[in-house]
Amino acid sequence: MKTLLTLSWRNIWRHPARSSVLLAAVIAGLWAGVVTVGLVNGLMQQRIDYLIESEITHAQVHHPEFQAEGYSWLYIPDHAEIVEWLENDERVVSFTSRTITDGMLQSPIKTSGVRIRGIDMPSETRTTNFHDNLVAGEYLDSDIRNAIVIGERLADEHNMELGNRVVLTFEDVDNELTSASFNIVGLFRSASTDYDERNVFVRADELNALLSDTPVHHEIGIMLTDETRAAEVVDALNSEFSGIRAQTWRQLSPELSMLVELGGVMVVLITLIIMLALAFGILNTMLMALFERMREIGMLLSIGMSRRRVFGMIMLEAGILTIAGAAAGMILATLSIQYFSDRGLNLEMFAEGAAQIGFDHIIYPTLSVAEYITILAVVVMITLLASLYPAFKGIRINPLEAARDA
Amino acid sequence: MTIVRTEKLCKVYNPDTVPVHALNNVCIEVDEGEFTALRGPSGSGKTTLLNMIGGLDKPTEGKVFIDGHEISSMKDSKRIDFRLQNIGFVFQHYNLIPVFTAAENVAFIMMLQGRDKQEIRKRTDKLLDQVGLGDRKDARPAQLSGGQQQRVAVARALASEPRFILADEPTANLDTEAAMNLLDIMEKMNREQNITFVFSTHDQRVIDRARRVVTMVDGAIDQDEIQDPDKT
Ligand SMILES: Nc1ncnc2c1ncn2[C@@H]1O[C@H](COP(=O)(O)OP(=O)(O)O)[C@@H](O)[C@H]1O
Ligand SMILES: [Mg+2]
Repeated sequence: MKTLLTLSWRNIWRHPARSSVLLAAVIAGLWAGVVTVGLVNGLMQQRIDYLIESEITHAQVHHPEFQAEGYSWLYIPDHAEIVEWLENDERVVSFTSRTITDGMLQSPIKTSGVRIRGIDMPSETRTTNFHDNLVAGEYLDSDIRNAIVIGERLADEHNMELGNRVVLTFEDVDNELTSASFNIVGLFRSASTDYDERNVFVRADELNALLSDTPVHHEIGIMLTDETRAAEVVDALNSEFSGIRAQTWRQLSPELSMLVELGGVMVVLITLIIMLALAFGILNTMLMALFERMREIGMLLSIGMSRRRVFGMIMLEAGILTIAGAAAGMILATLSIQYFSDRGLNLEMFAEGAAQIGFDHIIYPTLSVAEYITILAVVVMITLLASLYPAFKGIRINPLEAARDA
Repeated sequence: MTIVRTEKLCKVYNPDTVPVHALNNVCIEVDEGEFTALRGPSGSGKTTLLNMIGGLDKPTEGKVFIDGHEISSMKDSKRIDFRLQNIGFVFQHYNLIPVFTAAENVAFIMMLQGRDKQEIRKRTDKLLDQVGLGDRKDARPAQLSGGQQQRVAVARALASEPRFILADEPTANLDTEAAMNLLDIMEKMNREQNITFVFSTHDQRVIDRARRVVTMVDGAIDQDEIQDPDKT
C-alpha cells in the first residue's frame, strides 16, 4: 500500500537526528563486521601463507618418529627413490631436503637449546623464501667454512655479532656426542621471535659431515602447484613408500589448523558482539520512537487502522532505514576493504605483541563474496528482528490512548 | 431509526485494586439524525460512555448495539474494522497524523476503507471545502490553528460515511470563536445531511446548541431532555 509507505517514509524524516542514529548504527555494524572479518581473514591467511612459503611448504616427508623425537638417526629411508618420485610428479613444483638435528648452541655467555637445520641452498631458495628474513650479513652462500645463520634475537641474547663463533653440540647418527664451531655469517628475523630463538641454519653438507658417513636427510619440504592437492600427493607418497610419513601442512602444523579454526570462532564472536550492540541500539531507538507516538497510534487504531497495518507501518520504517543503511554500509565497507587490501593496514602500535606470536604488522584484509553476503544478511536480519519487538509492542497499544485526557 | 442502544452498561476500572465505578447501569438510545450533547461534571463518565459506544473499550457488564450489531462482544480486530466502516471519531487532541497534510489526513481513512482513488480525491476536496479549509488542503497539522485542526478531524470523521460521529470534548481546547465555528459546521452537516452527532462537553454555549442534552452524574444518566436550540 503506497499510502503506508508514504506514512513510514515521512515518519522517518520526523526526527532526522534519531533516524540518522539508526542509519549510522546499521552502517557502522555492517562496516565493523566486514572490516573485522576481513582483518581476521587477512591475518590468518598471511600467517598461513608466510609459514607455508617460508618453511612448512605444502607437504613434508619425515621418518615416522622424527618429529616427536628429533634424533638425527631417525632419517628418511630410501631418500633417493623419493627424490626421484618427486622429480617425476607434475603436481610438484619444487622440493628441498633438509638435514636436521636438535642440539645446543654455546657462546661464552650461555647455552641455548636449538634445532639445527642443515639446508641445501639451491633447492631451499627455490622452494621457500625464508632467505627474505635475512636482516644482516649474508645467507649460507657465503664462502666461509662452517657458516651459520642465527636469529637476531638469539644473537642479542648471546651478545654475539656477525663474525663471532659459536659452538654447536649434538648427537650424531651413531649416538655419539659431537661438537663443532661455526661462524656467524648472517642474522635473520622471521615473523616469530619465538622461532628466531630456537632455530639456526647451517649448510646441509657440513652438518652431514659431522653427523654421518653417508649423507642423511630428515625432512623433505614440497611445494605443489595447488595447495588443495596436498592431501592426494601425501596419500600417494605414503602408499608408495614405507618407513616414512608424508603430511600436509594442516597435519604438520596443528597450530596452524587451530589458528584457522580460532580465526573462524573469533570472526563469529566479534560479529556477534557487534550485532548485539547493533540490535540494542535499534531496539532502543525504535522503542523511543514508538513511545513518543503512543497516542497517535492509539488514534490510528481508534479510527480503524488495523493492527496488521500498524505493524506494517513500523516494520516499513525499520525496513527503509535498514535497506538504506545496508546499502551505504556495504559501499563504505567494500571501499575500506579495497583501500586496505591495496595498501595494507599498519598495526605498528601492536606489532610488538603481534611479532611474538608470529603475525605481520601490516595486514591485508581479504573477504570472499560469500562472506560479504553473509554479513549483509546477518545485519539485515538482526535489524529487522530488533524491530519486531517494537512493532509487536506497537500493535498492542490500546486505542484508548487517543481518548485519554491530556 | 435507532442507531445506538446500550443495555445496563457498567464499567468498573481497576476492579482488583481500587475499583472505580465509572458507569452504573446506563441505558441510552441514539436515533438517526440526533445532535446530542453529553454534559456533566468532570469525572462523571462522559468519556467512558463515549468509549463504550464507540467500541474503543469493553464494558464490564451490559451490552452496546450499533444498528443491531453487538459491538461490545466483538473480537478486537473485528471491532477495529467495524469502527472503520461505521463510526466517526473526533478527539479533544491528537486527532491528526502530523506528517500528513490536511488532505492526506482526510484521504487516509478512505484509503483504509479501500475506496477508489478518484472518489477519494473528489470527496477529500468536497469535505475540506465544507469545513472551510479549501485553501489549506496542503497544510500540515502543525501549520493549522487548533480550530482548523478540529475541522479537519470533523472532515475526516465524515469522510468514511459513518453511521454516526462521536466527539469527546471537541471544543475543549478552542477559543469561543473557533468553538462556535466548529459547532456551526457540525450543526450544518447534521441539518443538511442528517449526520448523527454525539458530543460531550461542559461548555454551556456548546450545550445550548444541542437538540438533546443528556446530563451525567456519577456514572449515571441524571437528566435526558430535548431542547430547542433556536430559542436562545
Ligand atoms: N483508565 C482509567 N483507569 C481508572 N479510572 C479511570 C480511567 N478512566 C477514567 N477513570 C475514572 O472513571 C471516572 C469517569 O471518568 P471519565 O469517563 O473520564 O469522566 P469524564 O469524561 O466525564 O470526565 C472518573 O472517576 C475517572 O477518574
Ligand atoms: Mg472526559
